[in-house]
Amino acid sequence: MKKPSLFTICFAIFIVCWVFLRFFVGGVISKPIPNSVIAMYMALVFIAILVHISVEDTRFREFLRPIHETLVDENRQTRRLVFAVLIPLLMLGFTYTNIAKKANPPGDPRTVHPTPPDNLTYKDIVLGTMDEAENPHRHLEKDDPEAYKSHVENGRTVYYQNCFYCHGDHLDGKGHFADALNPLPANFQDPGVLPNFSESFFFWRISKGGPGMPAAGTPWNSAMPIWENYLTQDEIWDVILFLSDYTGYKPRTFGEGH
Amino acid sequence: MRIRNFTLLLLILGLFFILPFVHAQGATEAQNIAEGKKVYDNSCAHCHGIEGRGDGSAAENLLPQPRDFTRGLYKIRSTESGQLPTDQDLFDIITEGMPGSSMPEWETALDADERWQVVAYIKTFYEGFKESETLPKEISLKGKIPYSKESIEIGKELYTQFACYECHGDEGRGDGTSAPTLTDEWDYKSWPANLHQNWNYRGGNDIDDIYKRFVGGIAGSAMPMFEDPAFGLSIEEAQRYTQLDNKGEMTDAEEEEYTQLEDKMANAFDILDLINAGEGDEEQKKFYEESMKTFYEKSWHLANYVKSLSPEKRPEAAIGKNSLRSQYVEDELPPMDDAVWDTLEESYFPLVGQVIIEPRQFNPTIDSVSVKSFYNDTEVAFLFIWDDRTHNTAEEENEDIGKTYEDAIAIQFPVKIPKGPTSPKPYFLWGGKLAVYLWQWQASAPEKTTELTAKGINNATEQEFQGDIETESAYSKGQYKLWVKRALETDDKKDLQLKPGVFVPIAFSLWDGANGDVGTKRVISSWYSFVLEPVPSVKRFIYPPIVALLSLGLLIGLRGFMQRRNTE
Ligand code: HEC
Ligand code: HEC
Ligand code: HEC
Repeated sequence: MKKPSLFTICFAIFIVCWVFLRFFVGGVISKPIPNSVIAMYMALVFIAILVHISVEDTRFREFLRPIHETLVDENRQTRRLVFAVLIPLLMLGFTYTNIAKKANPPGDPRTVHPTPPDNLTYKDIVLGTMDEAENPHRHLEKDDPEAYKSHVENGRTVYYQNCFYCHGDHLDGKGHFADALNPLPANFQDPGVLPNFSESFFFWRISKGGPGMPAAGTPWNSAMPIWENYLTQDEIWDVILFLSDYTGYKPRTFGEGH
Repeated sequence: MRIRNFTLLLLILGLFFILPFVHAQGATEAQNIAEGKKVYDNSCAHCHGIEGRGDGSAAENLLPQPRDFTRGLYKIRSTESGQLPTDQDLFDIITEGMPGSSMPEWETALDADERWQVVAYIKTFYEGFKESETLPKEISLKGKIPYSKESIEIGKELYTQFACYECHGDEGRGDGTSAPTLTDEWDYKSWPANLHQNWNYRGGNDIDDIYKRFVGGIAGSAMPMFEDPAFGLSIEEAQRYTQLDNKGEMTDAEEEEYTQLEDKMANAFDILDLINAGEGDEEQKKFYEESMKTFYEKSWHLANYVKSLSPEKRPEAAIGKNSLRSQYVEDELPPMDDAVWDTLEESYFPLVGQVIIEPRQFNPTIDSVSVKSFYNDTEVAFLFIWDDRTHNTAEEENEDIGKTYEDAIAIQFPVKIPKGPTSPKPYFLWGGKLAVYLWQWQASAPEKTTELTAKGINNATEQEFQGDIETESAYSKGQYKLWVKRALETDDKKDLQLKPGVFVPIAFSLWDGANGDVGTKRVISSWYSFVLEPVPSVKRFIYPPIVALLSLGLLIGLRGFMQRRNTE
């Protein structure tokens, strides 16, 4: 068999990369990748190929040879004709679908964990700075495991009377009310949630709810209620203990990780 | 050498097969129950109660209530009426959960061993599981009748014969005349399923599942078990019987035929009683078996009909490509009953209970609202469709369900359309600092839509200047239809102004008066968007040919260039 030309090889690499992104990464491994992202990666591949073929003059000529042949060689008449029909047709279809495409509504870019204020408050009571305020029941975990357990149990009751509709029985954000909400309720089983923030952060998020977020968190969309209106400080601290006890993930403490 | 390798492999494989058995045998029933208790206390007790009475701390707000396990009543069984469920039934329902209720699936949170252990444990709450020595009798799926148009037709007739409509309504939306009166075994309110929304069935929506629910009954609910009202008659005979029954006057011959059929039924019911009492001779037993076979056949037809009422799967929410797109028409916008509406696909907006601000609605009865829309150069018309089992037009005291309120819907838009995706919107629950603009419709005034401005769920005011919103509405067979029409642009600054091609946030609040919905107690959606879909521009016929010609020109030019270089 004849060795494939440099052009064919490059072309094949290009196609393989596309198929890999479109169907393997964006299908087998994860959700489909947006076209714009694929286009970006493919542009990189294209540049890489371009760099590769243009480092040597001979290589560049070798690359261009099949194109050259197709365009001018006398004995490539049919191939030329096929391309002369195919390429304009493809362009026709491509532009048509792009123009006729229906616009989709703009997405809502949102910071999932927006920056908290400097001070932690409950209603108007200042509980300390965000860095210093601590869960007053957390120390019981070491000092009095029995009492700690009763706080966790209290948190469990709070959770199943108030939160599970949205955040789910398994704390995975898949409550039976979740599917009508956008953004979706937080998933506490996601290792990126509890361990990355402090208990004071969660106290802030729970007590002030969706509307308490800065604009970056799109507070107008969030269905997360303002719990300081209905729960006591103790109940909020307890439900945080429950979240961490049930999932096994501990919120971050200041000092570590800094 | 080869052979020895092979034996080794076999040995290892053999071990793999044997180990699980050893493991399973090793775990005794007592161990299972002890382990199951741990799982139960951690995962189930806050709903089902430490002692299995269905009285956990979360139970208060839930309807249907978490099951009380002490009475041995299970809705979802593969066993015949009056029997306990099999272990596999319990395992399956725990694995899959019960859609339309708060009973979650446990497949993700518990591994299979844990689920089997908890099955063993919940059985200890009811003595009956210990006493029964024979295994429960399973429903046979033999003789399944394939899903077909003919079968659905027969099923439809049987739906009337079996009087399903008394609870489920003529068209199956759960709006039958008995619907408001139903309670379950524990005296809690229970609504008949809406057969057009089978994603809310507790026990799955395969034809087999539905069949099992008829044949086995839904124990503990208001739909416990079925008796064939025309027991002993074949499908054709039963058809003939209802036909005659509905006739005002019968000829003598018909009269005789009718009496014969009645006698045949009476006789069959006598035999049924005998058999149930454990009596009856060979011939009667045979007759009974034949009649049961007919009953099973009827049940398959019914199951096929029930299946046909719901869409294939729950529609996708109106997000992204499914967004609500108002379609352009040149002429007058069609009125509510115009058949043109049927040509549009509806956009589906799932709804949930409002549990954000007190008083809350934890047990919503409205699943969703579907919307269609047309616009022309000056006006836009919307058709809102939603299912509600009862038609409530006023605040009333109902002897069965207590206090009821008026049914209503409010459609919410921002007063000003946000400029871009990052610019603020009003709070999705009736606004806050930024105001929302609302169309409110109430069942007591079916031809009127009121314009409101709201800056919070408890802070809505009727607009001073009520613009011209034309309104039509209807309630029929468990379904509301509301049609509204408004000018695209108005003079009122507090109104929303509409232009083609601009995405506009939209959200909904609905009230089912019979479910106690009033004020903040309601069902809601979050923000979605809709657009007056621009008329496809003529550009789509102009640009593509130009691009095609250009690319051809480019090819020719390139060839010319190469040729010239060749000759140089
Ligand atoms: C009506 C549904 C709803 C209920 C009820 C609800 N939440 Fe939320 N919650 C949400 C939504 C939606 C989000 C995500 C949007 C956001 O961050 O505000 C969220 C976010 C959160 C977050 C932020 C997590 C993060 O990653 O920043 C915490 C913490 C939280 N909820 C805790 C609770 C607790 C505790 C309760 C019960 C006391 C509760 N929620 C009840 C809907 C709900
Ligand atoms: C959030 C509350 C909740 C939790 C947690 C919960 N259940 Fe349920 N469960 C329910 C409700 C509500 C029902 C009744 C639904 C109905 O009757 O339609 C139910 C029904 C059941 C049934 C009866 C099924 C039938 O066929 O009738 C079983 C069995 C069951 N649950 C087992 C469990 C087990 C085991 C767990 C723990 C692993 C559990 N449940 C956790 C709420 C819950
Ligand atoms: C006495 C009133 C009544 C009658 C008559 C009745 N049903 Fe029901 N049906 C109910 C109730 C109540 C429920 C909800 C049960 C529950 O609580 O889960 C229900 C539930 C159902 C379900 C859903 C099952 C599931 O898995 O959730 C189907 C399907 C159904 N019925 C079909 C029928 C058909 C077909 C008939 C006629 C043969 C019929 N029903 C007759 C009251 C009734």
